[in-house]
Amino acid sequence: MDKTKKVPDFWGKEDWQAVWLGSIVILLACVAVLTKAFDFSAVKFSTWAVGEAAATKAVPLAEQLGAWAFWRKLIVTVVVLCTLFTLGVKLQGESVKKYIPAFLCLFVIALVVRFVSAEFTLNRYLEWAFWALLIGLLISNTVGVPDWLKPAIKTEFYIKTGLVIMGFSVLFSNIAKFGLYGLGIAWIVTPIVIIFMWWLGTKVLKIDNKPLVITLASATSVCGTSAAIATGAASGAKKDDLSIAISISIIFTILMMVFEPMIIKAVGMSQLMGGALIGGTVDSTGAVVLAGNALGPEAEQAAVLVKSIQNILIGFIAFFVAIFFATRVEKSAEKKVGAGEIWTRFPKFIIGFFVASLVASFLIQPIFGGDQVSAINKVLDQYKNWCFVLAFTSIGLDTNFKELAKQMHGGKVLWLYIIGQTFNIALTFFAVWFLLSGVVFDVPVLDLFK
Amino acid sequence: MVTILVVVAILVCALWIMGNHLGLVQGYDFGAGAYYYADIPGIENIEKEGVYTTKVPYWIHVVLFLCWGWLMYRLWVWIDKRK
Repeated sequence: MDKTKKVPDFWGKEDWQAVWLGSIVILLACVAVLTKAFDFSAVKFSTWAVGEAAATKAVPLAEQLGAWAFWRKLIVTVVVLCTLFTLGVKLQGESVKKYIPAFLCLFVIALVVRFVSAEFTLNRYLEWAFWALLIGLLISNTVGVPDWLKPAIKTEFYIKTGLVIMGFSVLFSNIAKFGLYGLGIAWIVTPIVIIFMWWLGTKVLKIDNKPLVITLASATSVCGTSAAIATGAASGAKKDDLSIAISISIIFTILMMVFEPMIIKAVGMSQLMGGALIGGTVDSTGAVVLAGNALGPEAEQAAVLVKSIQNILIGFIAFFVAIFFATRVEKSAEKKVGAGEIWTRFPKFIIGFFVASLVASFLIQPIFGGDQVSAINKVLDQYKNWCFVLAFTSIGLDTNFKELAKQMHGGKVLWLYIIGQTFNIALTFFAVWFLLSGVVFDVPVLDLFK
Repeated sequence: MVTILVVVAILVCALWIMGNHLGLVQGYDFGAGAYYYADIPGIENIEKEGVYTTKVPYWIHVVLFLCWGWLMYRLWVWIDKRK
């Protein structure tokens, strides 16, 4: 007899489980921060370094590992994540006895990933997603993954839960942070680039893997890794699709962070325009801040303003992608898809993402203030990262190099990114020139002394 | 062949940037690896609150945001339907 049939979908299906598991973490973080009754922080390695790279900000490893707080947070993290995911697995009708040891081993690998990616140079350029994939791939393609570890490889479960937690950090108030200028640069351009890349990928380059095309398009036009994770989950992208989209985005971000400010300086663009261009085109938020800073304080603020609007787009883009895939990509032949079928296919975790975002924006922020929301997000950010590290390590463990190479479609995927990113830069430049050059509209003034 | 050369050039360039610590800022404890804004330590100090103020009401931003999103979705469906 199938045990899973006894459990209603809301409790037994992975999609819904992500919603309530993520909600439990958010609730615990809110209670911990707002009441100060207990410390709910998850463990994190501070930046460490060896040799001459040991910068002032690096914290020696001995100091980190010698602190009781580190071990206490490690225990809290393991207990919280293991309990929640085990509960989910139990309700899915799978063996808890097999899952717990497998999860603990996966967590240890994820801990190694976070340790490695906290090293000074690796932390600054590549961080955890890249190292999780690489370490997972190295294990699976050398010693192999033992059968007893496989029950813990639940990539989508970890990703969806992480996304619901991430929803709390998406604040709607950011939409008006740079007025209509910001909306024009971030929101007008982004969907056009996605549609352009969709057309290029599916109609011109004839890439038949549509989830890969949309995942790469979102990573390019919105904000790299986080957008790729959200749209990848919304479109049902395979693990290899996500690995490729994120790897391409990460490598190009390093290049763009260094070369884009150089080119902007060389052509003599103003700080405001240059910063907005960087905010709209460089994928990762960290790289946006640094590239903006390279141009000056006004550019840094403009870059952050535009990027913070793009960060809100993640949920909306994922929502539209989920609807699009449920109604168009997954439909059979010319049969019209009814509302019931759309609901069945719709990835429910997106509802959790939106609810978390709405609660943070219209309940917690107005009542308790922005500082408290930031404090809660500091706690949640680590749980979100742990979920994603578990997911990406799972992807690595479940992938082999040959499969990955096949998904490059003979290099077409790389060219889709390069042409799409070039189009993104050109269109964002036009929007920036149109709105901020002073030719058409008044140039906005940023108050840098606030 | 061209694709392979491009891949090699990009990787060499990225490694060269990382090896020379290019693009980093002395006072900031993060880099391109901080993908999401919440991953950036001290983001609240970098992102100054109220650095720009607008007279346009908040709801107009929301309405424009939703309208453009809907319009673009219809465009996407229309393009996808075309052979």
